[in-house]
Amino acid sequence: MPLIVDEDLCTSCGVCVDRCTMDIIRLNDDGFPYKKYDECWYCGVCEEDCPENALIIDLPFQVK
Amino acid sequence: MILETDVLVIGGGSAGAMAAIVAKEQNPEIDVTVLEKGEISRSGSIALGMDALNIVVLPGITTPELYMKSARIATEGIVDYKPSYVMAERSYSILKRLEGWGIRFPRDDENKYISLQVHAKGSFLLEMDSPELKLVLAEKVKEAGVRVVNRTIVTRLLTDGEQVYGAMGFNIRTGEFVVCKAKATILANGGCARFSLPNSGYLYGTFDYPGNAGDGYSLAYRAGAQLTGFEFTQCSPLIKDINCPLLYITLTRGAEVVNALGETIDLEYVSTQNMLKELREGKGPIFIKMNHLPEERIQDIERILFTTERPIQKKFWENRGIDFREGLIELGETEYQLCGGHGLTGIVVNEKTETTLKGLYAAGDVACVPLQHLTGAFVFGEVAAEEAVKFASNNDLGEVDQNLIKNEEQRLLNVMDNNKSGSISVQDFEYKVRRTISDYAIPPKNEIKLKRFLWWLPRFRDDMKDIQVTDHHELSRYEEIQFILDSAELSVHASLAREESRWGWFHHRTDYPEKDDANWLKHVVLEKGLKSGEVQTLLVDIENGGEH
Repeated sequence: MPLIVDEDLCTSCGVCVDRCTMDIIRLNDDGFPYKKYDECWYCGVCEEDCPENALIIDLPFQVK
Repeated sequence: MILETDVLVIGGGSAGAMAAIVAKEQNPEIDVTVLEKGEISRSGSIALGMDALNIVVLPGITTPELYMKSARIATEGIVDYKPSYVMAERSYSILKRLEGWGIRFPRDDENKYISLQVHAKGSFLLEMDSPELKLVLAEKVKEAGVRVVNRTIVTRLLTDGEQVYGAMGFNIRTGEFVVCKAKATILANGGCARFSLPNSGYLYGTFDYPGNAGDGYSLAYRAGAQLTGFEFTQCSPLIKDINCPLLYITLTRGAEVVNALGETIDLEYVSTQNMLKELREGKGPIFIKMNHLPEERIQDIERILFTTERPIQKKFWENRGIDFREGLIELGETEYQLCGGHGLTGIVVNEKTETTLKGLYAAGDVACVPLQHLTGAFVFGEVAAEEAVKFASNNDLGEVDQNLIKNEEQRLLNVMDNNKSGSISVQDFEYKVRRTISDYAIPPKNEIKLKRFLWWLPRFRDDMKDIQVTDHHELSRYEEIQFILDSAELSVHASLAREESRWGWFHHRTDYPEKDDANWLKHVVLEKGLKSGEVQTLLVDIENGGEH
């Protein structure tokens, strides 16, 4: 279940990593966030708190 | 990391954040530390706010006595008088405190708070407009000068079996071992949301915040505290598949629930049990219907649902192509959970939040003040802070057995070492544990069925040696599986002990199908046997009070 990142907007600030309620987001080698662990509760904090509105979360297929 | 503090708060959610703020209010000179598994600005069960304060006694309109009558009905008598009374009594001052912090409580044309009736005997639920509630709490914690240690899971309490002297755990990213010695300790780390398996089959697709894995129940039990209400395994009818809440928001604004036969279900103040009954009787699927509501009302419902608590719902409905103006909302049964806020489960506490261990206090979903919701988390966060600060001012840090600390650090190092090349992923393991809980530990219950879980339990504990743990994030999930297993063990023992059926479906025993007030209007209390180390059950009278 991907995290959709607008790489033009993302500044690699890491707020999404800091705030993730399940601690599953990390920055990849290019500095963009990805879900390292498949444990998303789709709480929406990463999307809501992203200062650049660069993130969109999708729902897991199982619950969609 | 070795910390020393006056008041340690474990869990920085609704109850814990409030406790930390109020501890500093009580005495700005004392040292207050929060150990938080997530990050405090968005942690616990209200990361994206809440739409209502479920229990508020408004002076001149309702009374604590009236609330107690409602609570007795809602819990089928399994409620102690004093803690719930104190919660109701202090609820208005919580409302005022939150208002003072800028949290909005809408008022009607006559400037009165908008209250909604979801209890049998009065309108206690107050509308609240606060997607940013947790950010506000976290800001207050910071302003108060509290030390917050984020991303830290607590794995054991420091105790000699009589008194608690702090806690131990580790940073779930770096693995740094954390010891926090404390004069007083407040447990505020939630219930067990990851109990049975959601029908979607997705481990984290739970109704309540899945970071709550029964951490506090396990910590308290292993330390020797008493717990109660674990037989009341509880679920709710919520949005099918995604398990997001919407009942109160829609039903208190005129929505109806209909079954597959097109019949409107009598809700009796939003009784979830009535809805679940329709499903079990084969009259499902059941739906929320809103197409008769005026446009203005629908927009109000959408505004709340799509901004607060679980705003992801907006995408869910868009993806399904359902518009509330026309479409029906199918409800499904959530997973079963153990929780003091939504249910009757938790650590035994009195009205001062004291547990049965000296120096240990409990507040919020981890504590058994039945159906206390967010109001209870805030009220008892305050109370726990007041009591813990008093205790801390009269007690020293105490002498902690250094072996306790060494052993725990070594235990965690051993898992990292021995489980590096395990053959089962933490998720596969948790799936089987929770599938087995679904198979044997939830209603309908009977003795043979419940004991099947006890057959599995030692096997699961032994098989944990085969779980693959490659980093400290996975180590935290490994520890959480232990919390889930402990919570299930407590639940099964309590369910076996209560040889009757009570609280509707949630503790329905097919071998004891009747409710038996003559013998069972009692608490089933659980504790660790001093000699055996096994779960001991005892029956304790309900603490009565007030008018019946």
